[in-house]
Amino acid sequence: MKIGLEIHVQLPTKTKMFCSCPTEGEDRPNSRVCPTCLGLPGSKPSLNRKAVELGLTIAKVLGCTIPEQTWFSRKTYFYPDLCKHFQTTQYDMPIGERGVYKLGNKDIRITRVHLEEDPGKTKRVGDNTALVDYNRSGIPLVEIVTEPDISSPAEARQFLAELLVTIRNAIDLPADGDRSVRCDCNISVGKERCEVKNVTGLKNVENCLKYEAVRQTKTLKAGGKIERETRRFDEERKVTLPARKKEYEADYGYIGEPDLGIYNIGEIAASIKIRESPIEMATRFTTQYGLDSGKAKQIVTTSLELAALFEELVKATDVKTAITWTTGAITANWKTFDVSKKDELISIVKELFNGSIKDTECSIRVKALMTGKSADELSSAAGDLEEVINGLIDANLHVVDDYRKNPKAANMIIGMAMKQTGGAYSSSDIVEAVTRMIETRL
Amino acid sequence: MTDLKRINDIYEMYTSFTDAEPNGKFTFSAKDNLTSIDFESCAGSKILSGYRPPFDATPIKKMREAGGFLQGKTNMDEFGFGTFSANSGFGIPKNPYDLNRSCGGSSGGAACAAAVLEDHVALGVSTGGSIVCPASFCGVYGIAPSYGRVSRYGLIDYANSLDKVGVLSAKAADLGKYLRIIAGKDEHDPTSCVQPDMPEKDRAMKSVAVPKEAIEGISDKVMTHFEASLESLRSMGIDVEYVDMPVLKYAMPAYYVIAASEASTNLARFCGMRYGQQDGDLSLGFDAYFTSFRSKYFGDEAKRRILLGTFTRMVGYADRYYNKALRVRESIIQEYKKVFTNCDAVVTPTMPFISPRFDEIANMSALDVYKADFLTIPPNLTGMPHMSVPCGYSDGMPVGLMFTSDHWNEDVLLSAAVEWEKGFEMKRPEVKA
Repeated sequence: MKIGLEIHVQLPTKTKMFCSCPTEGEDRPNSRVCPTCLGLPGSKPSLNRKAVELGLTIAKVLGCTIPEQTWFSRKTYFYPDLCKHFQTTQYDMPIGERGVYKLGNKDIRITRVHLEEDPGKTKRVGDNTALVDYNRSGIPLVEIVTEPDISSPAEARQFLAELLVTIRNAIDLPADGDRSVRCDCNISVGKERCEVKNVTGLKNVENCLKYEAVRQTKTLKAGGKIERETRRFDEERKVTLPARKKEYEADYGYIGEPDLGIYNIGEIAASIKIRESPIEMATRFTTQYGLDSGKAKQIVTTSLELAALFEELVKATDVKTAITWTTGAITANWKTFDVSKKDELISIVKELFNGSIKDTECSIRVKALMTGKSADELSSAAGDLEEVINGLIDANLHVVDDYRKNPKAANMIIGMAMKQTGGAYSSSDIVEAVTRMIETRL
Repeated sequence: MTDLKRINDIYEMYTSFTDAEPNGKFTFSAKDNLTSIDFESCAGSKILSGYRPPFDATPIKKMREAGGFLQGKTNMDEFGFGTFSANSGFGIPKNPYDLNRSCGGSSGGAACAAAVLEDHVALGVSTGGSIVCPASFCGVYGIAPSYGRVSRYGLIDYANSLDKVGVLSAKAADLGKYLRIIAGKDEHDPTSCVQPDMPEKDRAMKSVAVPKEAIEGISDKVMTHFEASLESLRSMGIDVEYVDMPVLKYAMPAYYVIAASEASTNLARFCGMRYGQQDGDLSLGFDAYFTSFRSKYFGDEAKRRILLGTFTRMVGYADRYYNKALRVRESIIQEYKKVFTNCDAVVTPTMPFISPRFDEIANMSALDVYKADFLTIPPNLTGMPHMSVPCGYSDGMPVGLMFTSDHWNEDVLLSAAVEWEKGFEMKRPEVKA
């Protein structure tokens, strides 16, 4: 099975791609429009530099070759929500080509990355009536086209999920709202492929590909032929249906967009610095610090600020101390933590590392700082808890040896401590205390 | 009834105008494909009937800011598609020297207004010769500046890479005066933003070249006046030499491929939805609705260019036509640049014949009409500034002389117009009101 995706992501610019209308704000239909994004006769586009920069950042993150010059093209087709009846897009000189995305150990090749404008939105309000809202018209999109390197609907979903994390991190893309991902899904189980247009969201992509894989397999088994066609996905019924027959890219009669010039993007591209993606960061944490991959992923997915704090702790203390405290007490109390107090937090752990305070005191002060509770209260509670845990470890000393081989051995003590204290402490407090106290005995 | 209305009933130069007393420092008109608040803007097409734009085109805005009073919108071939203004959806402007003859096109109404109205300046638009052709037929001065000199914001597009807004007037000095008002960078039109400033003082024209290829196929009547004009130039102290420019013959096919390709995309938006005519059958699906509108309201020439342009953009043909035409344009630019290393301007007749009668035009094939533009197309294709000045009268009809200079060298043309006017006796048409 071969699957290739064309992924459309709205770029988070303040203004539209070719005019200065806001991309967000009032929701009243057709309230954020001007002559240009309505395609009124005589209007002209002028390019939003920010959209180019964001597009180039994505092209760079995906390892694309970026040309010195780029330009736009007109893609002509008739549809009521496309106000000029041509979409200003890129055809023969996209901003990026021939990239690669690492999905685990697998390479998903990126054919091209290009910029284009979003059309308006059509809303059907009856059998014979539809309304068009042009607020979306002219919002910048980046389109990412992959080679047919994806081999299952589940892999397509995983690829999309990880790709979106990468993009969100690279360009500060908001995670929610209307800026959802839209995909054209190409799939073939035999020789000819079908394209399912405009599928919204990860779950729908997986479902539509699943349906289409089964449909094509059944058709072929029954001696039928798959015809190259464009289909659409019915979200309610979870089926794909024929849309238009035999439509090829070349039927759009592309010509260069004469209202916009040729843009020199080499220098802009070179000046863009790309951030490490969370996935790359997690991989680096395992190789650089010997952190196990589960914990590394946990840190970066909890928060990139936590990941940054971890690296500062490594510098302030050492790898072992940083791992123990980051994955332990700090992660446990992260939700209530005011990140602006991070220097204070680091200095507490540093005191422990220098030997001026002990584990227990460090733990109490960290918790007090992160939760805002009083140290005395925490101290007496923790004292009681630690007494219980110490007793349990003393009675089950083999756990310390077992822990060396498999950290899951701590679960036994955790379970017993929970039972014995009967809900007086939060599970995260108990997990943190047990882990810490076993580790001090190693 | 005002004089203006009576004049317009005779000449049909305006598609819409105001009877209000002019209250500006000067009065001007604008070709109907320049959008303007207060007036319908239809670009000569019925499909846009009733359309009132919510914004002024930049050249109109600048003229108003300079104290100009916009009197009306001038008649034109539908979207600029034509040489005689006979393809308008709103009547045909009549030549003030002979009402049975054409004003030329596609800025026919603009040239007519410049010829018949006192102290009037007309904004025109040229894609393939649409300023100099009517200027020549109506015996006025007209300049199409370098591509990009004047913002196209608010110009209803014909062919975006060729369209230029320019000036027509019965007075030579007006060309420079008003071109300087409308010229300049405009952030709403990126293609206007690469221009250098116009020099404050116009440089004098010292030498011109006549391409031998350009004087073949010229009618005897025009040729007589052209040769006399070369004598006048020599007497003004301007060197005249003959040159070979063999690639000029490729200009026409290249022009029509580029113009039709771009036009066919520009015209896609006109469909009876959002603006203009919208009286269609709403029970139709959108495809059928769009088709019914476009079939009903586009004129034959617009339909012909949509078909031509859609064909030349098709896959498999784009390389053979559109992309090849772009390369031809480049080589013609180089040919001109070579000539301009030795002289200030290229000079030819503007049109190969005097304005034809409407019955003659009716018998011309589409190809005959296209061929009539063979002198005006090369400078337009290259985006170079060019100007027509009146140079004589044959059977009472004006003859035009065309100068082309290098990109951004409008000033050489402007000074030549003023110098030319000093030695030329203009015969204004008799205007009945």
